[in-house]
Amino acid sequence: MSTSRQFSESRAIPTRTVLINDTTQLPHDYCTTPGGTLFSTTPGGTRIIYDRKFLLDRRNSPIAQTAPAHLPVIPGVTSQNVLRENKKNEANNHINKHDGKPITDDAQFEMDI
Amino acid sequence: MNNKFDALKDDDSGDHDQDQGSPKDSEKEKAEDEDKEQNTSKKKMVVPGAGEHPLQYNYTFWYSRRTPGRPASTQSYEQNIKQIGSFASVEQFWRFYSHMIRPGDLTGHSDFHLFKEGIKPMWEDDANKMGGKWIIRLRKGLASRCWENLILAMLGEQFMVGEEICGAVVSVRFQEDIISIWNKTASDQATTARIRDTLRRVLNLPPNTIMEYKTHTDSIKYSMGRLPWTGES
Repeated sequence: MSTSRQFSESRAIPTRTVLINDTTQLPHDYCTTPGGTLFSTTPGGTRIIYDRKFLLDRRNSPIAQTAPAHLPVIPGVTSQNVLRENKKNEANNHINKHDGKPITDDAQFEMDI
Repeated sequence: MNNKFDALKDDDSGDHDQDQGSPKDSEKEKAEDEDKEQNTSKKKMVVPGAGEHPLQYNYTFWYSRRTPGRPASTQSYEQNIKQIGSFASVEQFWRFYSHMIRPGDLTGHSDFHLFKEGIKPMWEDDANKMGGKWIIRLRKGLASRCWENLILAMLGEQFMVGEEICGAVVSVRFQEDIISIWNKTASDQATTARIRDTLRRVLNLPPNTIMEYKTHTDSIKYSMGRLPWTGES
């Protein structure tokens, strides 16, 4: 046991108070566990939970590139080619009846971890 | 983990000229899951492939399209809706989703439905008859992004309401698009509130977007072709 003691300065635990006026100002990951959800309870027991980023990251896996077997052929609905963001404009040229401006999804969730 | 509701008794009513089979055969890597308790006597179970990330539930994509102006009876609705296929893993989901047009590019009066395997996307299904849905009306241009966020949240079990979620729908209409999420028990306010809160968090909606909850029984009573609206509540 140490015989020499030094008392360190005591300090209050630093805190930061942020005033918000509306729930929309909450950070998107407030009260979440990494890879989890907003909620503290899990009705029905442990579940398989994936967050958005994890799901999106699986999009480019090799398995996902080929069309499923027996994919029904519905013109204008299903395609044998992979449809990605940058191919959306091609589809628009053929079927465009709506506002054709592509929406850059990348910018949508800048705060997503 | 398996959906306890009955598997579909028939794939569809009879008059489709397309192959309605979902890719269950080719997805199976192992036979050991084949003889589970589900009554899939005619179809093989969809299971995650080796190395794939399993989902809490299996899901089925459906597509429907209606000629505007024609009244939608139950029978014609059931005939107009087609299964696209079922999946059991994250990777299988992407195989489908990457080969389907985004809702913003659909034409006409069209819908995509994504429901748990065994639940038909119809009010009359056992899982839905006591249920309801949150609906969100969107101006044109938002449906694709919102639909994607909605289904990723549903597949990723972000709603945290036990077994209550039945499925999600995106509806392309003339001057607006509508997304909705269906749950089993309309009267369960704790559930519907939690679904609403999750929707707000995951959808990144424009400010002042209105969310409305409708029970299916109200929809059944007052939709076209059923009871006439008498003006009474």
